[in-house]
Amino acid sequence: MKPAEIHRRLKAAFPDGILEIQEGLLDPAAVIAPARLLDVARFLRDDPELRMDYLRLITAIDRVDTIEVVYHLASLTHRHGAVLRVRLPREAPEVASLAGIWPTANWHEREQYDLLGVRFLGHPDLRRLFMPKDWVGHPLRKDYVRPEEYHGIPTSREAARARRVTAVAPPMHEAKDEEADGIMRLNMGPHHPATHGVLNFLLETDGEILRRVRPEVGYLHRGLEKIGELTPYYGTMPYTDRIDYLGAMFTNQGWAMAVERLAGIEVPRRAEFLRVIACELNRIASHMIATGSTAMDTGAFTPFLHWIRERETINDIMERICGARLTYNYMRFGGVSRDIDGETLEKIARWLDHFEPIIDEYNRLITGNEIFVRRLANVATISAEDAVAYGIVGPNLRASGVSWDIRRDEPYSVYPELDFAVITGQGWRGRVGDAYDRYYCRVLEIRESVKILRQALSALPAGKFRTEVPRTLKPAANEVYTRVEGPRGEAGFYVVSDGSDKPYRARYRTGSFTALSIIEHLSPGLMLADLVVLIGTLDVIAPEVDR
Amino acid sequence: MSTAQTPQPSDLTPETATCPAGGEGMPLVMTTTVDQFINWARQSSIWYLLFATACCGIELMQTGGPRTDLDRFGAVFRSSPRQSDLLIVAGAITYKMADRVRLIYAQMSEPKYVIAMGSCANCGGLFQRSYSVIPGVDTIVPVDIYLPGCPPRPEALNEAILRLQDLMRGEHWADRLRSHEPKTGGAGAGGQAAGNSVARGGQTTGTPASGADAGNA
Repeated sequence: MKPAEIHRRLKAAFPDGILEIQEGLLDPAAVIAPARLLDVARFLRDDPELRMDYLRLITAIDRVDTIEVVYHLASLTHRHGAVLRVRLPREAPEVASLAGIWPTANWHEREQYDLLGVRFLGHPDLRRLFMPKDWVGHPLRKDYVRPEEYHGIPTSREAARARRVTAVAPPMHEAKDEEADGIMRLNMGPHHPATHGVLNFLLETDGEILRRVRPEVGYLHRGLEKIGELTPYYGTMPYTDRIDYLGAMFTNQGWAMAVERLAGIEVPRRAEFLRVIACELNRIASHMIATGSTAMDTGAFTPFLHWIRERETINDIMERICGARLTYNYMRFGGVSRDIDGETLEKIARWLDHFEPIIDEYNRLITGNEIFVRRLANVATISAEDAVAYGIVGPNLRASGVSWDIRRDEPYSVYPELDFAVITGQGWRGRVGDAYDRYYCRVLEIRESVKILRQALSALPAGKFRTEVPRTLKPAANEVYTRVEGPRGEAGFYVVSDGSDKPYRARYRTGSFTALSIIEHLSPGLMLADLVVLIGTLDVIAPEVDR
Repeated sequence: MSTAQTPQPSDLTPETATCPAGGEGMPLVMTTTVDQFINWARQSSIWYLLFATACCGIELMQTGGPRTDLDRFGAVFRSSPRQSDLLIVAGAITYKMADRVRLIYAQMSEPKYVIAMGSCANCGGLFQRSYSVIPGVDTIVPVDIYLPGCPPRPEALNEAILRLQDLMRGEHWADRLRSHEPKTGGAGAGGQAAGNSVARGGQTTGTPASGADAGNA
């Protein structure tokens, strides 16, 4: 359904609730009266012809005189979407929470509360998400001023130089009041070998059975969205590498696509193919870490080393393609940073021939290993309904049996010309959507990526690898949302421009953020050892969660 | 190799120590000093803590992998700070994380060393303008080696480990046992622990790893 048709239906259902339709935007939005937001949201979700079952993103924007909250919705059933917007007074921004309609709203709203101070009424647990509890202010407000120091640590490098530490007094921890309920409370993380980065899980355990797990995040929150507002469009590209350092090509591409759409820049065909080649290589490398570390977390170190060995070759190829091993900074608006040479193409083709038998070797090593299978099968099953309601994306969503791949369903770049299968969970060794399905989906996707790579290599057209783009980019005031299918699912970029050379608001939607938010829901009754499997197979990485 | 002359302390390691030739059926005898022997043992068993916070952690992982293979130098990763000699701070540290880093450092066994890996750990790097990233890990723990790069290549980290071995060879092991009880001041109050800062002062200036492989390109 087209946005115009959705807006017509909305107007018909809520004559007084729709204040304005912003037709001029690249993604037309409907401005809703804050008092009617809950009704509108429920209507959009429940109407059989609309069925907006998937809440993509909640963004708050400080407009200096007002605070706007923007909701990006989509329907996986009907393949359409909508954008809602409410305007709130800046002094006391309050709006109804949507956590009761889409559970994924819970974390999105906590984040916006933390960073912009929007109060979501009726929210079950409105606390700061990223910043420490005693942090003062909301950093993404336009008038926010960084403090001089926090807990004795200076915030500027100049001040830090003079205060180099020579000795450390261990921080004292206050003894917690133990309630006499027989429940043990444990911190798992933020430094723990199985949490894949600095994530913290507050466990409430009864012996080895978990009563509840509450993820505590923000230990790697680097404020990338604020930096995005302070940096010209070109300058943000290296920062997007750091949003998802295992899939930096995808965040590169997402950012490039967003700005290209905003500024109306065409990308040459050769550049699109070069992007696909780089991305699919990156996807293989990322899935290697995901599957390999799952095996490592469950006690098998060898398969991981096999993948690390192969990954070094991908790093070499990436170095030839863009000059970097990990943080690529490869994409440019209107193309890529440099052309690929014939030798590199040959190297990729040779490596693919070498690599395909290695997948079989890997499968013999671990995928079919009975001990490993029993650790994963029937563990932490995510149903299709839960997956969609919690905004799970990417291989995790597909493992739950939902056939949704942005490369196919909201096509971008040259993916429509390429032939590949969308892998969905089949309950290979247990139930659909269990940990084994999530794991095996990734192994199969590695094969699909190999397939895509072979096609892209043979179809690579001649031509320019980049169009001419003005040195300073000043897109007119508008806003766009673009998304790519990254290794951890939807990597979305919501960019609001105001006619200057910097975005007014940059917002990044990542797969790990929503994947982590489902853990509290799944945890009751899980074994402690299964939590490690759950985290591993969800392929959660900290920088994507915290940004 | 060795001569009968008195060797200088700096080049006297077990490998180059005076070594009377063992004849037929004679055991091979090697003489050295206790300190040098201890230093040799320490430098050949650097156990580093698996402390990967951000992007640099991936390169840290690759460094432990088959190609660079840190195990060659006796450096293996441990998951527990209690078993580790070396803290490689691989990535950005936020204010929320700072106390945890102090705690982990305090839990490590003496003598202990710190490598600040990558720009973020050195000085805040790309994130100096961020409201939540600390401008260099040396504001919370003492740093022995600053390793530049964003992220540093595995070869660079390898070099940093070699430089750390140099550092270990050139010092008396007991000089390192000093950060147990800071005399004054709280954590993060740099320069206040007067009793300890003397010995540390010379060393915290750090040994930047070679610039040749510092960059990305």
